[in-house]
Amino acid sequence: MKKALALSALVALSLAAAQKTVTLAWSGAITGPTSDAGASYAAGVEDYCKYANAQNLLPGVRLNCVVRDDQYNNANTQRNFEDFVGNMNVPVFLSYSTGSNLQLKGVIEETKVPTLPASYHIGLIDPPNNTYMFLPVSSYSENIVALLEYIAKKDRGAKVALVVNPSPFGRDPVVDARKAAQRLGLKIVDVQEVGGNNLDNTAMLRRFESQGVKYVINQNTAGPVANILKDAKRLGLLGKMQFMGAHYTGGEDLTKLAGDAAEDFIWATSYYLYDEGDRPGIQLVKKIGAQYGRKADTIRSVHYTSGMLAAAIAVEALKRAKNDLTAAGLYKGLTSMNGSRAFQPGFTVGPVTFSAKDHVGAESLRLLQADKTGNFKAITGPQRSQMFQLVHPLR
Amino acid sequence: MPASRLTQTGNYRTRYTQDQTIFATAAEQLSLIVFVLLLLTLPLLLPKTLLRDVNLIMIYAVAVIGLNVTTGYTGLINIGQAAFMGVGAYATALAATRLNLPFFLAIPLGGVVAALIGTLVGLPSLRLKYLYLAIATLAFQIIFEWTVGHLPVLQQGSAISLPTVQVFGIRDTFLNHNAFWYYIILPVLVLMALLWRNVLRTRHGRALIAVRDNDRAAAAMGIHPGTAKLTAFLLGSFYAGIAGGLFAYFQKAVVIEDYGLHVSVQLLAMAIVGGLGSLPGSFLGPLFIVALDRSMEALSGWLGAQNLFPEGVDVATALRPLAFGLTIMLFLMFEPRGLANWWRLTRLYFKRWPYKF
Repeated sequence: MKKALALSALVALSLAAAQKTVTLAWSGAITGPTSDAGASYAAGVEDYCKYANAQNLLPGVRLNCVVRDDQYNNANTQRNFEDFVGNMNVPVFLSYSTGSNLQLKGVIEETKVPTLPASYHIGLIDPPNNTYMFLPVSSYSENIVALLEYIAKKDRGAKVALVVNPSPFGRDPVVDARKAAQRLGLKIVDVQEVGGNNLDNTAMLRRFESQGVKYVINQNTAGPVANILKDAKRLGLLGKMQFMGAHYTGGEDLTKLAGDAAEDFIWATSYYLYDEGDRPGIQLVKKIGAQYGRKADTIRSVHYTSGMLAAAIAVEALKRAKNDLTAAGLYKGLTSMNGSRAFQPGFTVGPVTFSAKDHVGAESLRLLQADKTGNFKAITGPQRSQMFQLVHPLR
Repeated sequence: MPASRLTQTGNYRTRYTQDQTIFATAAEQLSLIVFVLLLLTLPLLLPKTLLRDVNLIMIYAVAVIGLNVTTGYTGLINIGQAAFMGVGAYATALAATRLNLPFFLAIPLGGVVAALIGTLVGLPSLRLKYLYLAIATLAFQIIFEWTVGHLPVLQQGSAISLPTVQVFGIRDTFLNHNAFWYYIILPVLVLMALLWRNVLRTRHGRALIAVRDNDRAAAAMGIHPGTAKLTAFLLGSFYAGIAGGLFAYFQKAVVIEDYGLHVSVQLLAMAIVGGLGSLPGSFLGPLFIVALDRSMEALSGWLGAQNLFPEGVDVATALRPLAFGLTIMLFLMFEPRGLANWWRLTRLYFKRWPYKF
């Protein structure tokens, strides 16, 4: 009996000794600007990481889950990156904002650490220094071009206005949108920049009205868009103009802020939503959220799912890296996700595929429209924008 | 004469030239040299992450000296110092990428461009004072952000990457980045501080202080207040431009978000907490604000981990701005002369201790 106990203790000890620890680290805005999205995203990363440990998704590997607030401050992101890569030897960097990722592109290239940002800015995977940047889902630019295609099918020659955030995050898709609109026979009659301090949008909306704008496409965060929708409702423009937006404009956050003014808003995103409980990914989101005691609002947020997707991609890449738990191994694991080996975590409307040339994960997206209760319902099936590759060929 | 030049406590100056020396005593001179020598060993002692903070503190210190030139020494309120930093950063980035200038030329060029723009922005100071001038500089901050956001040559505020720097065969890499830039930023800071200390000894420097104290009296003494004010803007924005250039290289890319209004407010807070119109305050302010930020980060992280608050109550969201605002308020109420006054009192104490005469 004693011998058996000693033997099992020895086996347990040797197993523990054989277990490797890998740090899965995220840096983003839990406080400060855009923290409404960042806090849920952080929760998603953290919970999936804990879940991977609990479920032993990586046999012989214990994940050290690190989620750090950078306050949307680029210098803080760089500090976190240096700490993660220099001291914690992370094989993958889960990052957040557009500005910090653009700033870090050169360093990421130098350190060869694959990076999965929460920003879906196409410039991140454009050359130069784009080898190690991977967008988990389709880019903002593709979201917007897909919305333009939808308009063109319904109303060729329609007048469109773009409302974008006054930042690289907001401005970048404008060039592709202009090119696509020209090919699709649409007229972009106005491009306005609107930040988070837009208390009154009357002047802008009246101008759109006088210009005959029928479609307003937003590339922004939910807060400013909600204010625009509320003003449009007050001015009686909701039936006259169709409001639309790219990934970060919509979802629960928008309906929470805009209330019934969000009705009919059309949203482009690659993610499944909380209300689609029949989807395996959403079932997992609910299960993990409940397991780790998250509030209902957090679990319902699409950003919680987004955080989980980023962590899930990293965990899957580590699994595929097998014994090479380094950045190089993870890169190989990541770029093996294609063809029959595509990754299907179920959080997005299509599989996640990467290769050395393909740096967009879930390429499919859907258009969804908000109903009276504020819930978004799909109005298209999973699709890719036909025009996007023509206006922005990816190298 | 004192018994020893190193232990003198009284004022033994008998000539005006002695009154114009950069350092008041030999002890002061010696202690500064020793301090700078000690600073040179800092990268060997500090962890990499802390060294990054030291670099940021030094860059901010250069910008805060500049802010002190306009606001502290000349009394011209400036809420656009981050925009001047931004002008320097973008000019440096363009000089490095378009003109292929090496960093030791690109950064001073950034300073010069910022100085020129700063002089133009300073023109309203010839007619405006106090709150009105503050609003004029605030307007420049907004104009700057708008302009950068709409200029394709500046990538509309998106990133402009800076080339990798090499000095004496040593290349700036991820592994040595913080130490590499430490040895560039530190001499620049020392030089810039010495430059300002020297300017203060000239009639131009003294004219700035005279204009701050009473511009009409200064005019009566033969000082041209307009020239003095423009000089202040020229110098102040030159410092900001140099800080911007250093920051651009240190961050490896220029992005508009790094030069927003919040940074201007932060720089102003650093100048106030450090002590307006004080050179030591220009170092102590950035040191204090960055240290406060890091302490609050650690404290809120610790409080969050204790599960004292229900989920959804983000301690950091409340604690950091609260600490920042409260600090400025408390300093304005109880120590308007800032940390520089504490530094002065500490020095005075040690000057007299133990009962020297």
